[in-house]
Amino acid sequence: MSDHNCNCGGNGSRHCAPGNGKMDRRSFLRKSTVLASGIAAIAASLAPLRELTDLGSVDEFLQKHYKELSPAEMEKALERIRKEVERQYGIRPHLRDLKPMDGVEFVYCLNLTRCIGCRKCVHACVAENNQSRSPEIQYIRVLKMPNGTFDMEKGDHNYAPETVPEKGFFYMPVQCHQCKNPPCVKVCPVDATWQEADGITVIDYDWCIGCRYCEAACPYFARRFNFATPSVPKEQINSDMAYLGNRPRHKGVMEKCHFCIQRTREGKYPACLEVCPTGARKFGNILDPDSEVSYILKNKRVFVLKEEVGTLPRFFYYFDV
Amino acid sequence: MNADAKKSLVLNGSAIVFVALAGAFLLDLWGRPVATVPIVPVAPDFTNTATVRLSAAELVRTGGDASGLDCYVCHEKGKTPVIHFGTNNLVILPKEHEDLVMRHGRNDRNDNCYNCHDADNLDMLKTRDGHKSKITESSRLCGSCHGPTYRDWEVGIHGRTSGFWDRQRGAMVRQDCTSCHDPHSPAFPAMKPGPRPNQLHPEKDVAENGKETH
Ligand code: HEC
Ligand code: HEC
Ligand code: HEC
Ligand code: HEC
Repeated sequence: MSDHNCNCGGNGSRHCAPGNGKMDRRSFLRKSTVLASGIAAIAASLAPLRELTDLGSVDEFLQKHYKELSPAEMEKALERIRKEVERQYGIRPHLRDLKPMDGVEFVYCLNLTRCIGCRKCVHACVAENNQSRSPEIQYIRVLKMPNGTFDMEKGDHNYAPETVPEKGFFYMPVQCHQCKNPPCVKVCPVDATWQEADGITVIDYDWCIGCRYCEAACPYFARRFNFATPSVPKEQINSDMAYLGNRPRHKGVMEKCHFCIQRTREGKYPACLEVCPTGARKFGNILDPDSEVSYILKNKRVFVLKEEVGTLPRFFYYFDV
Repeated sequence: MNADAKKSLVLNGSAIVFVALAGAFLLDLWGRPVATVPIVPVAPDFTNTATVRLSAAELVRTGGDASGLDCYVCHEKGKTPVIHFGTNNLVILPKEHEDLVMRHGRNDRNDNCYNCHDADNLDMLKTRDGHKSKITESSRLCGSCHGPTYRDWEVGIHGRTSGFWDRQRGAMVRQDCTSCHDPHSPAFPAMKPGPRPNQLHPEKDVAENGKETH
C-alpha cells in the first residue's frame, strides 16, 4: 500500500500517514456496505408503517376540545368529517352536532320477563351506529342466565341454540348504563368522555387517546376499543350521523352505546328498542311524569346491576308481576 | 489471525447479518400472523323492525291479501255457523279453517269462536259483555279478558311503541296485540337467535368448550 494510492483526495504523505492509512478503498467500501445494509435493515423493520393509512389530518390534530369549539369551529370540524366520510365511503353524510334537549333526562328500562334473547337489538345497533363489522364491535351483550341467579359470572353470551328462549334461562342484555356517577368519566386523563345534561355519557373520538382506562373502570363491560382499523361495508354505512354519536371512528379510540344520540336527541326511540320484537325495551324522558319510563319506575319493581358499586345507572331492569 | 483480518471478518459478518435482517423484515418472517376469523354479514332479518306477525289491521293497511277476513265469501248472512266440539271438549275445525291453530291459554280452552267473534255478524268481533268492534280493531277485545296487560299496553309498557318518544316532534305507533300474538294461539313464538359475537381467539374458544371470556 503506497502513500500515493491512498484515497483521501489529498496529495503527499501529510494527508494519509502510512501508520493510520486504514481508510483505503477496500475498507471504505466495506464499511459503507455494512452501513448501507444496516440502514436497509432498519428501514425494512419500519415496513409496517407503510400500512399506516388512517392518520388523522392536521386540522383534526389542531382541533380544540369539544366544549371549547365555537359554532364556526364546530362547523369546520363537521365539514372536515363529512369530507372524510365522503372520501372513504362515497356518500355525503347527514352529519350534525346535536345538543341535549332542555328538560330531558334519558332513562332506559328493560323487561326481563319479555326478553327472549333473540339478539336483534345487538345487530340493529351495529347497523345503526356504524360499528366495525370486522373486527367485530358490538355495544350490546346478551347474557343467558340460569333462572334464579343474578351472578353475572354464570352468564353466557355465546349461546347459539336453534331457537330461543330456552327453558330454565332468562336473557339479560347489557349495554352502557349511562351512569349518573360514571367511573369511566372519572378515570379519563384527557376529558375525552363526559356526561351530558341529558344523562348520556359521550366520547369525542377526536380527543380520545386510546389509553383504555375507561374500559377498565367500567363495571358493566360497556366500552369497546378499536384495536384495528374499523371496517364497515360502503353500502351498509348509516349516513344519519351525529358528532358525538355514530360517525365513523378511527383505529385506537374508544366507543360505546350512546343511546343513539342521532335518533334520541331528535325525539326518536333508539334503534335497539325499535327492533325489539317483544317490546321488552322502554326508553324515554324521566323528567316527564307521563312518560313510559316514569310509569315503570313508579309502578314496577325495578333494579339496577351492581348497585353496590355506586354508579347510579340510568338503565333499569325489571320483571313483570 | 491479525487485527486486519479480524476486522474484515466482523465487517463482512455484520454486512451479511444486516442484509439478512433487511430481507427478513421485508418478508415479515416473524411478524405475528393476525388470526382473522372471516365474519359473515348478518342476515337482514336481524335488523328489520317488523313485528313477528302481520295483524289483520296491518294486512289491510299495507294492502295485502285480506280475502281470508271476508267471512261472507263462504258463509251465509244471517246463518250462524255451528261450532263442533269433540269428545275432549276441544273444537273440531272444518277443512276450510284447518290453518287455524287453536291454542289459547294453558289448556287450549279459549276455543269458543264466539268468545271473540260476533255470532250474528262474523265480520265483527264481540267481547263477552257485548262490545262490538271491527276485526281490525282487536286490542280492546283482548283487553276485555286481559285487563292488567291491556292497562300496561295502553300506557305503552306491554308491547312495543315505535316512532317518537317525544310526541311533540312526531307520531308514535302502538303495535296491536295481534301484531305479536296470534289470537287463536297467542303464546309468543320461539325465534332463531341472531349470530353470537365472534370469538377473539377461536382456537382457545374450542379448547375451552365455548366458554371464552373476554
Ligand atoms: C274459505 C271459506 C271460508 C271463509 C273465508 C270463512 N269460513 Fe268459516 N267456515 C267455512 C266452512 C266451510 C265452515 C264449516 C261449515 C259451517 O259450519 O258453515 C266454517 C265454519 C266456521 C265456524 C264454525 C266452526 C266449527 O267448529 O265448525 C266459525 C265460527 C266460522 N267458520 C267463522 C268464520 C269467520 C269469523 C270468518 C271470517 C273471519 C270465516 N269463518 C271465514 C268456510 C269459511
Ligand atoms: C274470552 C276471554 C279472552 C279473550 C277475549 C282473550 N283471551 Fe287471551 N287468554 C284467556 C285465557 C282464559 C287465557 C289462559 C290463561 C292461563 O292459562 O293462565 C289466555 C291466555 C293468553 C295468553 C298467554 C298464552 C300463553 O300460552 O302463555 C296470551 C298471550 C293471550 N291470552 C293473548 C290474548 C290476545 C292477544 C287476545 C286478543 C286477540 C286475547 N288473549 C283475548 C282469555 C281470553
Ligand atoms: C281470543 C279471541 C278469538 C277466538 C276464541 C277466536 N278468534 Fe278468530 N280471530 C280473532 C281475532 C282478534 C282475529 C283478527 C286477527 C288479526 O288481527 O290478525 C281473528 C281472525 C279470524 C279469522 C280470519 C283471519 C285468520 O287468521 O285466518 C278466522 C277465519 C277466524 N278468526 C276464525 C275463528 C274460528 C273458526 C274460531 C273458533 C274455532 C275463532 N276464530 C276463535 C279472535 C278470536
Ligand atoms: C311487541 C309485541 C307485543 C305486543 C304488541 C303485545 N304483546 Fe303480549 N306479550 C308479548 C311477549 C313477548 C310476551 C311474553 C310471552 C312469553 O314469554 O311467551 C307477552 C305476554 C302476554 C301475555 C301473557 C302474560 C304475561 O304477561 O306474560 C298476555 C296475556 C298478553 N301478552 C296479552 C297481550 C295483549 C292483550 C296485548 C294487546 C293489548 C299484547 N299482549 C300486546 C309481546 C307483545
